[in-house]
Amino acid sequence: MVRLITHNLLACHAKGCTSNNFPLKLQDVAIEVREAEFNPDFVRGFLPRLEWKALVQAARELGDTSLPEEMPEMVDDGFLKNLHHVLLEIHIDEGAMICPNCGHTYPISNGIPNMLLAEHEIG
Amino acid sequence: MAPQVTATVVDDDPQSYESKHVHAVYDEIAPHFSSTRYKPWPIISQFISSLPVGWVGLDSGTGNGKYLPLPLERPTDIWTIGLDRSRNLLTIAQNAGNVTRDVVWGDALGQSWREGAFDYAISIATVHHLSTPERRKLAIQRLITAVSPSRGRILVYVWAIEQDEQSKRTIPQVADQSNGGEDVFVPWVLSKNVQGKQNQNRNGKPDTAPQDTNVQEDGSTTDRADAPRIYNRYYHMFARGELAELVEGAASMLGLHVGPLSPEAPLGIEIVQDGWERSNYYVELRRWKSS
Repeated sequence: MVRLITHNLLACHAKGCTSNNFPLKLQDVAIEVREAEFNPDFVRGFLPRLEWKALVQAARELGDTSLPEEMPEMVDDGFLKNLHHVLLEIHIDEGAMICPNCGHTYPISNGIPNMLLAEHEIG
Repeated sequence: MAPQVTATVVDDDPQSYESKHVHAVYDEIAPHFSSTRYKPWPIISQFISSLPVGWVGLDSGTGNGKYLPLPLERPTDIWTIGLDRSRNLLTIAQNAGNVTRDVVWGDALGQSWREGAFDYAISIATVHHLSTPERRKLAIQRLITAVSPSRGRILVYVWAIEQDEQSKRTIPQVADQSNGGEDVFVPWVLSKNVQGKQNQNRNGKPDTAPQDTNVQEDGSTTDRADAPRIYNRYYHMFARGELAELVEGAASMLGLHVGPLSPEAPLGIEIVQDGWERSNYYVELRRWKSS
């Protein structure tokens, strides 16, 4: 599956594409929400390493507006629950991810993103 | 006689060679292969259990995803993404441990991540499927750049020439070991009747590196109507010391100091474990930043 936690880590790696290659833009996505066990310690631990703006933007593209524009200074349980939902419970089953820089398309099919490049696209 | 490991020579463009002798094979044998790969190795389990809560990692060459559910004692404390070349294995990995997993179809030589995005990376029984020293070194570089420069931890396992005494395999002696290791084909026997019995090989023993489980006890195979197919997978079997050398070369090319934390270099990587376990060599690495 592709969840937003994974989307927050992925970047374009096509030949010559080394800047402005993150975050990949979500396109024509089909999503499914599935409950996952909430572990506040995990979410709190991962939080400092998130690319916050990219996550908020991707969540809004998927219709979830529960996260604030700026990462809050005070982290409470309600916030962590929202973040858990955005990171781990929204599954992208179908669609594509487009590089904002070079326009390369990475398709997602049956929940698996295809990050392979053709030989001439490998940097 | 059971099919034997045979020496081979990489006689084609490495990418086409691996495509034919590694990727295509795993796609064909995926369900049967997966049914023989379920028990994690102790050193790998220990490594993953030692990671702090909130860490996120990459399993490069995840296969059927058997390491994705770890650590079993606190499964939601850390989170691992599986990467593999075989779409058919990923379909299995996607549900490893009966929990939905995030997996990515990609190449161990690709770098489809923000640099340093992960806290840790493991690559188990994968680098030995790359058919030139340069490509094996690049795979290590990709692991290094995937993890955090200040705290990233890495574990790599590859198959060794030096085999466990219990190993059923006879490794051909090759005169020319100038590149350090040995290039071989390892047969995988897939009989037609096994395809419907994919989950019956759970005999409770830890699985060792490449194993052709479908050969009968007496070495015979099943009857002729059910003639088994033999798939040869390419492996580079590592010589003693070769893996650490590869890591040192990869780190140097990235401008990293190799050794313990030192004020004399801004960035470095330390080999904290370098060992052999049950027919495999492994190294554990830690990245560090001195300032």
